[in-house]
Amino acid sequence: MAGPLEQFEIKPLAELSVAGVDVSFTNSALWMVIAAVLVTGFMTLSMRRGALVPGRWQGAAEVMYEFVANMLKDNVGTAGRKYFPFVFTLFMFVLFGNLLGMIPHSFTFTSHIAVTFAMALVIFIGVTIIGFVRHGTHYFRMFFPEGAPIATAFILIPIEIISYFSRPFSLAIRLFANMTVGHIMLKVIGGFVGLIGIFGVLPFALLTGITVLEFGIAALQAYVYTILTCIYLHDAIHMH
Amino acid sequence: MPQFDIATFSEQIFWLFVIFGILYFLMSKIALPKVGEVLERRHKTIEDNLGKARALKDETDAAIAKYEAALAEARDAAQADIREATEKAAAEHAAKTEALVKKLSKKTADAEKAIAGAKDDAMKGVAEAASEIAREATDKLIGVKVQAKTADKAVSAIVGE
Repeated sequence: MAGPLEQFEIKPLAELSVAGVDVSFTNSALWMVIAAVLVTGFMTLSMRRGALVPGRWQGAAEVMYEFVANMLKDNVGTAGRKYFPFVFTLFMFVLFGNLLGMIPHSFTFTSHIAVTFAMALVIFIGVTIIGFVRHGTHYFRMFFPEGAPIATAFILIPIEIISYFSRPFSLAIRLFANMTVGHIMLKVIGGFVGLIGIFGVLPFALLTGITVLEFGIAALQAYVYTILTCIYLHDAIHMH
Repeated sequence: MPQFDIATFSEQIFWLFVIFGILYFLMSKIALPKVGEVLERRHKTIEDNLGKARALKDETDAAIAKYEAALAEARDAAQADIREATEKAAAEHAAKTEALVKKLSKKTADAEKAIAGAKDDAMKGVAEAASEIAREATDKLIGVKVQAKTADKAVSAIVGE
């Protein structure tokens, strides 16, 4: 029987190397492609007719669009409008990555810290650049909010700096940990089902419940990842 | 844990950027503009229809106002006609009454005159008869033949002409 960590193994499907760096096409990349294809297919095929009165699929695509658009509008305001394609892509990519991971024997690319941290770092750097472009050196005010007593500076500034720089870590680790732990739990409890004979119905029942929960977590974590990105964007555009 | 195998980081991150980049391009250039356009078109259609409905309602209101104005005008005209007719009828009636009064008063006057004439005639006849009777009575009683003239004078003195 496969161990609970085996599902996270990166298996190269095609060896590839560019300038001495290993960029092999792996099972992780394959599921990223599947997610991207599904997202693109869903968003284009369902909108193909572009009907005035939407059908079921078109309605679903429009719901996703408006969900992310409203999230961005509520958290960032109209100034965030131009980042909508990025935020939407991010949400759909993470959501589909999480949900595809729920298919047995599939691969969850969002359960890898390299992926979640790379995205978080892009968001962090991007947001910081937006902040400095919009506010110039005034953006340093992020570390010492307007109106705070000057005497608190020596404690407030380090705290703000730590909190600012911990953003990509919290963003990356939250998603990676949620996905990893959920899948390990499913695998471990699933292992008990066959081991203890007739009493296997108990872990099986538990497994059923946890599977439902994991679907919820898959959607929720995609939402959290995206809404935190929106909040960071808000801070960069409007400061505190 | 395979997640901490640093050797796999480069391949994961490389393909993440490639695939995410392609997906971003597809979303921002193809998928999302289409959705936005459909939503915008729907919004516009609804707005247009609302606008059309509003215009039609305004038109209806204008038509109703026009109808009410015409109705009020017609009512005023009808009332004016009625007033005119009433006044005309009243004037005609007054004229007729006046003519009748005139005619009747003339008749009354004529009648009065005729009665006065008749009375005069009658009075004359009475005086004549009285003087005749007086003369006859005088003749029969005392055998004096009284002159007609004298008798007339005596009668008229009594009657008090």
